[in-house]
Amino acid sequence: MPLIIALAGNPNSGKTTLFNALTGSNQFVGNWPGVTVEKKEGRLRGQKDVLLMDLPGIYSLSPYTLEEVIARNYLLDERPDAILNIVDGTNLERNLYLTTQLLELGIPMVVAVNMIDLLQKNGDLLELDDLSRRFGCPFVSISALKGRGIAEAADEALRRAKENIAPAPVHSFDDRVEAALRAITAELGDEIPAPQRRFFAVKLFERDEKILPRAGAARAAESIERIVCAAEEALDDDAESIITNERYACIVSAIKSGYRRNSAEKMTQTDRIDRVITNRVLALPIFAAVMFIVYYVSVTTVGAFATDWANDGVFGEGWRLFGLRIPGIPAAAGSALAALGAADWLSSLLLDGIIAGVGAVLGFVPQMLILFFFLAFLEGCGYMARIAFIMDRIFRKFGLSGKSFIPILIGTGCGVPGIMASRTIENDRDRKMTVITTTFIPCGAKLPIIALIAGALFDGLWWVAPSAYFVGIAAIVSSGVILKKTRLFAGNPAPFVMELPPYRLPTAANVLHSMWERGWSFIKRAGTIILVSCVLIWFLSSFGFADGRFGMVAELGDGLLAALGTRVAWIFTPLGFGDWKATVATFTGLVAKENVVGTFGVLYGFTEVAEDGAEIWGNLSAGFTPLAAYAFLVFNLLCAPCFAAIGAIRREMNSAKWTFIAIGYQTGFAYLVSLCIFRLGLLFTTGAFGVFTLAACAAVVLFLSLLFRPAARAPAVRTSTV
Amino acid sequence: MPLSLLKSGETGTVKRITGKDDTKRFLESLGFTVGAPVSVISEISGNMVLCIRDTRIALNRDMARRIVI
Repeated sequence: MPLIIALAGNPNSGKTTLFNALTGSNQFVGNWPGVTVEKKEGRLRGQKDVLLMDLPGIYSLSPYTLEEVIARNYLLDERPDAILNIVDGTNLERNLYLTTQLLELGIPMVVAVNMIDLLQKNGDLLELDDLSRRFGCPFVSISALKGRGIAEAADEALRRAKENIAPAPVHSFDDRVEAALRAITAELGDEIPAPQRRFFAVKLFERDEKILPRAGAARAAESIERIVCAAEEALDDDAESIITNERYACIVSAIKSGYRRNSAEKMTQTDRIDRVITNRVLALPIFAAVMFIVYYVSVTTVGAFATDWANDGVFGEGWRLFGLRIPGIPAAAGSALAALGAADWLSSLLLDGIIAGVGAVLGFVPQMLILFFFLAFLEGCGYMARIAFIMDRIFRKFGLSGKSFIPILIGTGCGVPGIMASRTIENDRDRKMTVITTTFIPCGAKLPIIALIAGALFDGLWWVAPSAYFVGIAAIVSSGVILKKTRLFAGNPAPFVMELPPYRLPTAANVLHSMWERGWSFIKRAGTIILVSCVLIWFLSSFGFADGRFGMVAELGDGLLAALGTRVAWIFTPLGFGDWKATVATFTGLVAKENVVGTFGVLYGFTEVAEDGAEIWGNLSAGFTPLAAYAFLVFNLLCAPCFAAIGAIRREMNSAKWTFIAIGYQTGFAYLVSLCIFRLGLLFTTGAFGVFTLAACAAVVLFLSLLFRPAARAPAVRTSTV
Repeated sequence: MPLSLLKSGETGTVKRITGKDDTKRFLESLGFTVGAPVSVISEISGNMVLCIRDTRIALNRDMARRIVI
């Protein structure tokens, strides 16, 4: 059995940085509370059988959000061999609150005061020996970022784990509280080992319902309740608040002697920045400007330049490097295949299937990398938490919490981590609503679809690409209003309480690493799942029954795929793209959204789509007008996400029923919005009127009535506790 | 008076948090206990960024109203 050391501490105190340094792994580190939502384990460097467990950050052992539940249950049920408690040295008072609770668990423990470099820079003094004595547990100082003192901290925790030295909590509360705790301890069952008796006594005093059955004190419930009531009356407060106050009182008196602060400066740098960034007048304009820069630069200017180079150059006609002409991959591969005298089907598979399909996706990698770079920077600098605060006031009007904005923003990179980031939302209903609406925002994989439609069909018209994000936000906001009015989600969003981390300049290594990590997962998918899909699409489209026998067909229209696609294309006829190619593309998008572009690459011949797509798309004339293309774009942006994201929704909802509700809602919503765009657009541009126009009008009426009807009555308010 | 009436730059001391629910407990564990000094870093129509025990905490107006100073 390997020894297990758990890393526990407040959110954003540097647990994951320490974890990475001690295990040599590369978990993502951000600067906002709630980056780690799942526990992760790794092997301690240089030790064969010691496992390190990185837990989500918690403020106390009375959990408030879902990821706090994960951490608390782990500490209580699995009982690691030792706890390495990481404490943010720049914020000792609040961080030591959790420490006083952890000490009572009776598990060997070491407190590592992190960010010692910052303390020293400020000229603050920390008496580690004094703190160790006052809390009955060793205190060491570390800098997780610079790797200072971390090996010593781990060694100390390991030694205590091996020798099983549990801390002896010496912090004590008000005499009246201590008397009550002694009386409760006497009522505890004999099976509770001595080091844990204080923990159970305190929890019973706080009336923690989940602890009662474990404490072996069920029969004593009544006498314990009498003790607690008496103490509450004597101290004129409720039991939980009494304990919290006492803990803070202990900490304040302990650090008065153990921590000398050189507080010449009253306002910190972060406070000064916050005065501007969360200012009542400037907050929104600054936010809008940041968002505009991020998406405008990554989608249009620099991003478009990089994508043009990749698409037209590397996967197109060739490009120049210092005057040297480098041929594009398709041309090079084509001439190589011709020189080798490869069979027709083989060159078709390689050129029309793999290079066209996979190339179509890979061409967008530079653009995605730029977006990921910005996202990593936003996450690392500390602005993310401010965005949640600034947007809360607005999102609340639509029934969502400002915290829903973080999953949405992460979701512009990839929906899967976006959906997982919803765990920081305390309220069950708010969380479910966020999970359902997060994938409405275009993710990195939908970026190629947007770029393709905007570039090829609208000739790079400036508003098309940003409008995709606008459609996403509008879908989220209106869904918020609509869903909130149903019985499933009735009730106000939970109050907004969030810690704002200090601003820090993210390290270049961290930003680049996170950018590369996310980009690489797209490249990997292009080489695996997209590759397989493209080969399949190529096969199904190039083979079929012609002249009465099965074989390779000259016309795509004779292929198996055309036959299959035509059968189901009627589904999308009302939306204007009832063409089999678009239909097939939409369905392959469920596997991965890049596939939509990959499929077009195979079916239309990629280079032509990217360069002068208008010509080919134009050939489809009435079947695929710009209006239909826009309807196609909107449908693909809003409908059910890819399988990976559906899987994430399933995990977060933890119920098949809710997964179906989410997918059904998304797809139904996408269908109706697309229908309205195409049919009403057609009515206004050409005056065409038909059954589907009526249907679209009905959809508008339905939409408006859902939007403006009175809200359903809220069931009894229940904050989630698990 | 409720904390929500403070302006940017002003300070106060926590006297009480009204109500009794998970959010109150959460606020207390974040350091909003009786006698703790709190200052307002910025304020947007009642939603505020506060400084308490060396940490910045953002609260919406409903929450700020429940903290009596």
